[in-house]
Amino acid sequence: MRWFDTLTEVSARSMAKRTSRRSVIASLGAVLVGASALPLLPVARGATPADQPAGGKPGAKPAPAAAGQSGASRTDAQPKADAVNDPASCDYWRHCAIDGFLCGCCGGSQNTCPPGTEMSAVTWVGTCHNPGDGKDYVVSYNDCCGKSTCGRCLCNRNERDTPIYIPFQSNDYNWCSGSSKANIAYHCSTARIVSVAR
Amino acid sequence: MSLRRLLSAIAATFSWSAAGAYESSVSYMLQCMGCHTPDGRGEPGRVPSVRETLVPFASLPEGRRFLIQVPGAAQSTLSDAELADLLNWMIHNLSQSPPPQTLAPYTAAEVASYRHTPLVNVRDTRAQLLAKVAAVNAQQGGSESTRTPPPPQAGRK
Amino acid sequence: MNLNPRRAAATLLGAGLLALSAGLARPAAAELPNDPASGSQVLPAASPHWVWVNDFVFPHMTDGKAMLVDGDTGRYLGELDTGFGSVRVVPSLDGSVIYSPESYFSRGTRGVRTDVVTIYDPKHLAPLGEVIIPPKRSSNMPMMANVQLTDDGRFLLIYNFTPGQSVTVVDTKSRSFVTEVETPGCALVFPTGARSFFSICADGTLLDVRLDDTGHDTNKQRTVGIFDVKHDPVTEKGVRVGDSWYFVSFGGTIYPVNIVKGAPVAGGTWSLLTAADKAANWRPGGLQQLAVHAGLHRLYSIMHQGSLYTHKDPGKEVWVYDLAKHARVQKIAMQNLTGSIQVSRDEHPLLFGAFIESNILDVYDAVGGNHLRSITDIGTTPTLLVSP
Repeated sequence: MRWFDTLTEVSARSMAKRTSRRSVIASLGAVLVGASALPLLPVARGATPADQPAGGKPGAKPAPAAAGQSGASRTDAQPKADAVNDPASCDYWRHCAIDGFLCGCCGGSQNTCPPGTEMSAVTWVGTCHNPGDGKDYVVSYNDCCGKSTCGRCLCNRNERDTPIYIPFQSNDYNWCSGSSKANIAYHCSTARIVSVAR
Repeated sequence: MSLRRLLSAIAATFSWSAAGAYESSVSYMLQCMGCHTPDGRGEPGRVPSVRETLVPFASLPEGRRFLIQVPGAAQSTLSDAELADLLNWMIHNLSQSPPPQTLAPYTAAEVASYRHTPLVNVRDTRAQLLAKVAAVNAQQGGSESTRTPPPPQAGRK
Repeated sequence: MNLNPRRAAATLLGAGLLALSAGLARPAAAELPNDPASGSQVLPAASPHWVWVNDFVFPHMTDGKAMLVDGDTGRYLGELDTGFGSVRVVPSLDGSVIYSPESYFSRGTRGVRTDVVTIYDPKHLAPLGEVIIPPKRSSNMPMMANVQLTDDGRFLLIYNFTPGQSVTVVDTKSRSFVTEVETPGCALVFPTGARSFFSICADGTLLDVRLDDTGHDTNKQRTVGIFDVKHDPVTEKGVRVGDSWYFVSFGGTIYPVNIVKGAPVAGGTWSLLTAADKAANWRPGGLQQLAVHAGLHRLYSIMHQGSLYTHKDPGKEVWVYDLAKHARVQKIAMQNLTGSIQVSRDEHPLLFGAFIESNILDVYDAVGGNHLRSITDIGTTPTLLVSP
């Protein structure tokens, strides 16, 4: 599709700046699965084994667009300070409303699908705040479809998620529903910037 | 928009249409793109393309109502003015053929008068509209038009 | 090989004693009889203390299933294999069959998709037949309202999402597909009578749909605004007692929807949370977060402490409310983090608890709140608990 080609071109240029990070993503992905025994299941953020309240202290105000501050992750006892800038982390700022496996751990990337899977045109979108530059971005979580679930790097964040009767900001749909070729076999989720949210 | 303003707006109430209006291109992304895809062509067999129908529908009274009353538009979190701006933006940016200069832009008042009765039969209504458009085209034999600039966005703060 | 003389002697002595006792205990000629090839178990009529644990098996979605467990004995009674991304089984009202909307690809995760409603025999847990339906069944985090029977059990209603929204109607009597009712802008199915249901729309109104005796839609109408989608949206996990549906919002408010002459009408709201609860950030959450017991007029809600947007988080407490008094009457401490609950419909009800990240099914006395037993190895990603 035309828009996808344009995006690939843009992302290829920006990818060049992050080449070293790409290899870090790949290696971190393996380490994440091994070391933290990542559960291969939808993780509800904030439900830690110690039953700590999500979002920090009780009564803390939510800051949903500020990724990384949404509370303790079940995969990390303490979110790393730089996790908000780490694409391999569930706390990565772009993942503010993601629900699925990170395609970067599955042979793809934040904006490409793993080999042999098809990017669904239909998707849910969120607005996430990038603490790095202080801007809000529109992030599109296009699913990659056509193969069984990837099973690596599962991340579920529900900031500003809506119930499924408000579809376009709901992460509870299998958005591979919109993939006419691959249909509902869900593999992983990307997190594509599609615009500054101005 | 400052982070502090955003946080205070969200801390006060649940609201997933953050304080302040977005530009129409961004509103399209948040409200429509998820299903209608970035350039409006949709997904064959699942989501109809808007590219071929925006101008013809907006050129008919019942078509103008349709564009407001499709639930995706009517039920969006946009204000009447923002929705009017968005529809105008879509007509000028996603249409396959440029809108004629005679095409009246949407106004907040027009949107307000129809959006509270969202359609319960979209498929049939759309099919009827397509038939009407075809009939009108057959009568008129088509017409040339030049692209007009979009009207100023009245809905932005 | 090392041979420890003392050990060797003990072994020989032990062997000798064993042979002697064997010789004394039974005649040397008797052997265990062969087992007859007795085939498969057949279940008796369902007990209200049984529960179907549905599982969409997220890591291996082609292997969806529903597992039947006896809450009284802890025994695993059997299972149904329910295809790709399955949602839940729907027992018929009279218990004679079980319906299950299912999806299959011709080559596992690819190929031609076929959606069916499989009709199962509840005693043999085997298919009796199937109805082919449009391959549009919504694939989402499983919810009870994805599929429901009309109040008389005649029509099975299945929510579709392509992303166009509609409801498939299946006639259970003729076991045939009837029609697909377009429900634009609205989701899920909440029956309100023998020939009516509503869906929830994105603007907080409801779509009131009426069917005729053939199952075709005769009237569709939007109600006035019922829910506050901008400031305190309700979750989709409504539960029903008699003529009232109860929905809970992100902020813990109950929004009743009462069926008045067949039409859904907003009832008075009330909160599950006191001011002190809210100050301490208590909040309802979970996947199947509410349950009811009609006879006791009780509402059960999973509770946890968390900020806004934790409406899907599991909890370790279930708070119980009197539906007439709108007041909390009990807090039940759960053994484990719980994301799904169900209460059996009988007079001595059980409370079941499960969690999508766990394969343990917990069973409690729904009145006393005491934990009765936990059953392990129940599924991979258990989702919805359904009473037979």
